[in-house]
Parts: sequence; C-alpha cells; structure tokens
Amino acid sequence: MAHLTDGTLRRMVDDPDARVGDNAVHLAGCAECRGRFENISDDARSIATLLAVPDAHVDMPRAFDRVRSAPVASPALGLRLPVIGPGRRPIVLAFAAVLVGVALLVGVIARDYALNYTPNTVTTVPVTVADIQALSQLSNYGTLTWTRQPQFQAATSASDAEALAGMSAPVVSNLPSGISTNITYGAMTQAQAVFTFSADKARAAAAAQGNSLPTLPAGMDGATLTFTVGPAIGELFGELKQPAAGSDVSQLNLPQLVVVKSSAPSATSTQLTPKQIEDYVLAQPGITPELKAAVQAIGDPSTTLLIPIPVGYATSKDVTVQGVKGVALGDNTGVGSGVIWIKNGVVYLVAGSIKQDDAIAIANNLK
Amino acid sequence: MNLGARRMSTVGSDEEAFEDLFTAEYARVVGIANRVLADPHEAEDVAQEVFIDFHRLHSATAQYAPAWLHRAAAHASLNRLRGARRRQKREVAQALEEGERTLDPQKQLEVDEDRRKVRAALGRLAPKPAAALAMRASGLSYAEVAQALGVGIGQVGTLLRRAEAALLKEVTRGTSN
Repeated sequence: MAHLTDGTLRRMVDDPDARVGDNAVHLAGCAECRGRFENISDDARSIATLLAVPDAHVDMPRAFDRVRSAPVASPALGLRLPVIGPGRRPIVLAFAAVLVGVALLVGVIARDYALNYTPNTVTTVPVTVADIQALSQLSNYGTLTWTRQPQFQAATSASDAEALAGMSAPVVSNLPSGISTNITYGAMTQAQAVFTFSADKARAAAAAQGNSLPTLPAGMDGATLTFTVGPAIGELFGELKQPAAGSDVSQLNLPQLVVVKSSAPSATSTQLTPKQIEDYVLAQPGITPELKAAVQAIGDPSTTLLIPIPVGYATSKDVTVQGVKGVALGDNTGVGSGVIWIKNGVVYLVAGSIKQDDAIAIANNLK
Repeated sequence: MNLGARRMSTVGSDEEAFEDLFTAEYARVVGIANRVLADPHEAEDVAQEVFIDFHRLHSATAQYAPAWLHRAAAHASLNRLRGARRRQKREVAQALEEGERTLDPQKQLEVDEDRRKVRAALGRLAPKPAAALAMRASGLSYAEVAQALGVGIGQVGTLLRRAEAALLKEVTRGTSN
C-alpha cells in the first residue's frame, strides 16, 4: 500500500471515523507515516492553540429581533432564488457551461424583427434547473457548428492581450484591500457559430421522450441562427497556480476578482422571423410557465441581453453603472457577487469573492 | 433565549422554519466568525448580516440552509479580516483577556505576536483552506465542513493540512529571523 497522503493523515488526527480500515493498519505498521503523522498532529495542535478564543456569549433574542426587523428585499421578478445545494459541484460546472447556451438562446428569442440583434442593455430572467436541462438539449433540435473557432490565449501583460483581442484592456483603478494585484490576462478572438434546426432530429428527440413535437413553423427545418461573440479580454486577479500533477481541483487557487470586457454578442437568422423562433421555443414542453412569462414580460427585448439567473442560486438588482443600466448579482456576504452592463456596444463584467458594494465601486471606476 | 414564545406571533411555516434555523445555527455561525475575528461583538455583527442575507434570498426549509450559513460566515469574517488592519491591535487586547496570564510576560508577548501573525496570515490564505480551518476550529464536523464548501469529505483533511502548514510557516518564519 502506498504511503498515506498528508490530507488523510491530517484527518486521522481528529476524526475517529478516519482511523479505521486499511489506513489505520498502514499507519500502525509504517514508521515513515507515523513520523509524518506526529508532525502533522503537532502542527494541528499549534494552530488550534493560536486560533483559540473565548466562547462568544450570544444574546439570541436580541439578535433575532435585529435580523427579523431588517428590511426584506424582493429578488428579481419577485421570485425566490435558492442556492444549488453544496456537494453538487459537477452539476454546477455543467450548469455554467449550459448557461452560455441559454444566454445565446434566450438572446435570440428575445430579438425583434430586425435581422441583426445587438443588445445595448442588460436585464435578468430567472431560470430553473429544469429550464436549463430542457434547453441544454439544444443538440436534439439541430446542429451547432463553429464557422470561426474562438482562440484563447493567456498573457502576462495587458499589451499582449490587447494585441490578440484587438481591443483595449480594462483598467481597475480602485482594487479593494485584500485582493491580489497579480493579474493574469486572457484574450479571446471573435468567434462565430451557426445553429441549424433539423425537423427530423427534433421529432426523434420528442418521440424518445414519448411526446409529439409542437407543430413546426414553415421554414423551421433548415433555418439557421448565426451567433457572433467576442473579441474579449479577461483579467484574473489572484495568485493563480497551476495544480500539481495528480492533485485535486481544490488545490487550485481561484481568482479573487475577474474583470471581462467583450464586444456585445450578436445574432442573425435565416428563413424565420425571431417571433416565430420565440414562439416555437416557448412552446417546448420543457419550458416552465415562469420562464415563459418572464421572457414575454421583458419590455423591449430587441436590444436587451437577457442574463439567466438560476432560481435559488443568486439574486439580482438593477443598478446604474457608468451612467447606464446594469445588473448586480449576489449579495454583501463576500461569498460572491458581480456586476454586468453594456456601454457603447461592449459588455463588461466584474465578479469575484467580493461584496456587492465593492463590485459596483470597481465597475463605476473601471477605465 | 425564549424564542418559542415568539412563535405565537409569527405567521406561516417559513417564518417558523426560519426561527428554528436561527435557534439551531446562530451560535454556531457566531462561533465560526469569532474564530476568525477573535472578537465576539464583531462576530455577532457578521452572523446577523449572514442571517439577514439568507432570510432575504432563501427559504429556511432549504436543505442547504446550514451549509450556506456556515460558508457565508467563514467568507464574510475572512473578508473582514482582510479588510481591517485595525483587527491586529484588537486581537492582542483580546488575547490578554483569555486567562493565559499564568504565562510569564515575555512568553505572553510571543504568544500574542504569534496570534497576530496567524490571523494576518489567515486573511492571506486562499479562501477555501482558510474557510475549512475556521469552520473546523469552531467545532464543525468534517462532514459539515465538506458540505459547506461543496467538497468531498476526503478533501477536508487536505485543505486543513494546507492551511495549517501555511500558517505555521508564517509564524515560524517571523520568529526565526
């Protein structure tokens, strides 16, 4: 048996559940691991001493009164927004990938009759996991192909990133204390993807689920949607380290702050009007009434980038950023928050493990 | 502490659930923040803000409620630690009240200095190991820490070891100079 890892040994220090089975047998018979175990135990004890504090004597009724009397804000569109339960990391990751697809799709269905859709403001629409799962089956309805693949490149200087993306890098002028001044730059070239609807695929997908397909509008089969995204520049603030081979993802330091600047995405379609596409997508069985109502309630969707907010994961509020309307996500606990806005055809995002107030302040001072 | 009497005036099961959640978790949430900040009053401030944010956004019946509160308490208090240099002075004052006056004055000074360093270093750690350490030191079980951070229980030991090794390095580096 290989030697025990530091993590395993550390857990054996103070978790009786870990001192069983093969690991316990190995520890008893391995002088090297016992030596490491002693060192790790000593370190744990030293830190416990240094972190020791007297117990806080809480005044619970008074605290409860204060909490209860705090004003309760309404989440976006009047819906409650729960968190995706912990321990579902793979879902969250998949979910993040799918969100991009959802953003594109709802962006498209929100277009007006103009052929070119280029948003100039942002708003949120709440989506449930079920909505996302339904929309993630996009590939069941057609084929997505890249006509121009995005190129990503990490850079150590703003000028390198600017050269690749062909746009100026954003400058944060008021970094909150505690945020690293170490910046890693990333650049993405402009990319274009075409989605082609296929009546056969859609029908087969519906049949596989025992449903019949809502009637396809004439011209839907073979209709194309062309999405253009980027170019973009991202700035990651933090001491990022490459994970050592074989280490788990938790060893990787995540950025404390992320700032992204991107040309606003645009979309064009053939054969169908956006209204037809919108009606058809909203008629799919997987779309919840809430999402449908929310999408339809957006006043002037033709120029609005819809940001899907997972129901229960985050809350949002409208804010004014650099003189234009933006959306702030998250809260003031510092767990995570972000601000997104569009100005002069460019989408900006500021997000990180920071308070919402800090995110808004950074956004307002971004140059 | 007689929150049960308030039940009469609350309306709706969600309000009752929130009260139950508060009763069950408030002291633990304060405990996490206090472990980081070493200041019971500031820890209560953090805990109340965490509950207010939770109450605004989430249902108290949600299964993830305790895990959310624990994680938010750790992050919010670590953020305060990072943002407030004034903390360093307070810690030393706080440490003097901790019944360790049996130590000789020189030893006491060293302990205080180590405490100051370890908290300053805690604020510089990556958020996840720092949060794991704060939660575990405040008495949360390995399973609870894992749930709060959304990691497997096997990873908690790794996070703790990483945090402790980094903190000790900071403390010993200072004293060996």
